[in-house]
Amino acid sequence: MPRFFLHIDDGTQRIEDEEGSELPDLEAAREEALGSARQLWAAAILRQQDIGSRRFVIVSGEGDVADTVEMDDALPSTLLDRLRA
Amino acid sequence: MDFNNRLLRALSPADQDVLRPHLRWSELERGTVLVSPNEPITHVWFPESGLTSIIAMAGSDQGIEVGLAGRDGLVGMPLLLDADRTPHRIFIQVSGAAYSIDGTLFRTLLDDHAGIRKLLLRYVQAYSTQTTYTALSNGMHTVEERLARWLLMSHDRQDDDEIPLTHDFLALMLGVRRPSVTIALHSLEGLGFIKATRGLIVVRKREELEEFAGAGYGVPEAEYERLIGQLR
Repeated sequence: MPRFFLHIDDGTQRIEDEEGSELPDLEAAREEALGSARQLWAAAILRQQDIGSRRFVIVSGEGDVADTVEMDDALPSTLLDRLRA
Repeated sequence: MDFNNRLLRALSPADQDVLRPHLRWSELERGTVLVSPNEPITHVWFPESGLTSIIAMAGSDQGIEVGLAGRDGLVGMPLLLDADRTPHRIFIQVSGAAYSIDGTLFRTLLDDHAGIRKLLLRYVQAYSTQTTYTALSNGMHTVEERLARWLLMSHDRQDDDEIPLTHDFLALMLGVRRPSVTIALHSLEGLGFIKATRGLIVVRKREELEEFAGAGYGVPEAEYERLIGQLR
């Protein structure tokens, strides 16, 4: 299985995923990022923190940026619509 | 045969002599499964070093750590409690070594030697306190606090300050996804309590880490010392 690294980036600082995960494909890596983002939101909301400026940068085992997943992508779409209204 | 295992050490010299001829030394590699869910437990292991993890399973390939045992304890507790198997999975999380004894023989020896049985039952009490505080932490504490607690528990069970653990393992220990571990390590590192590099966590400020871990750390450890003796 290919390896993907899920770095967390807020534009100024990057928290490196040093180990990476073995996942079947990029879609699975995106799903992992989304699931993780929901977990990070849950913890952030409990401490009244906004992590919306952060994103996952998915990097392949070869070191190429394969995709990015915004933390906001993990929020329920109705909530996002309400916030943006 | 000098023991590093705290339970073997706490036995009377006479009881140590009862066990000694039956103990077999084995090296334990990370990942080795000592107890599989619902399968007969063949041996009891007394770790001399390294860490074993007791996992409550959610299906066949997922679970969360509910208990930790190293040189403070033993693996194969159901045999002490007149049960031959457990739904839990127990595996080696940090490589080390252990003395093991045949399970059937162990049960016979317990019947004949009350001193051994009593000490090991007190360990069951200490261990169950640990698991109840794991429940407390899982219910009440943040991932950062739980990570701090877990690192302290791990640190208690080894001599040096370097804990060889991957984020993958820590995610299983804490029942969270790996990025949550990465973020939590980053926070503790930012506070100067630890230094995390690939596959290795170094404890830098133990006292501060204890303070940070709050109510999750301390009570089970005090209970262990009351019932058995020195933990660290």
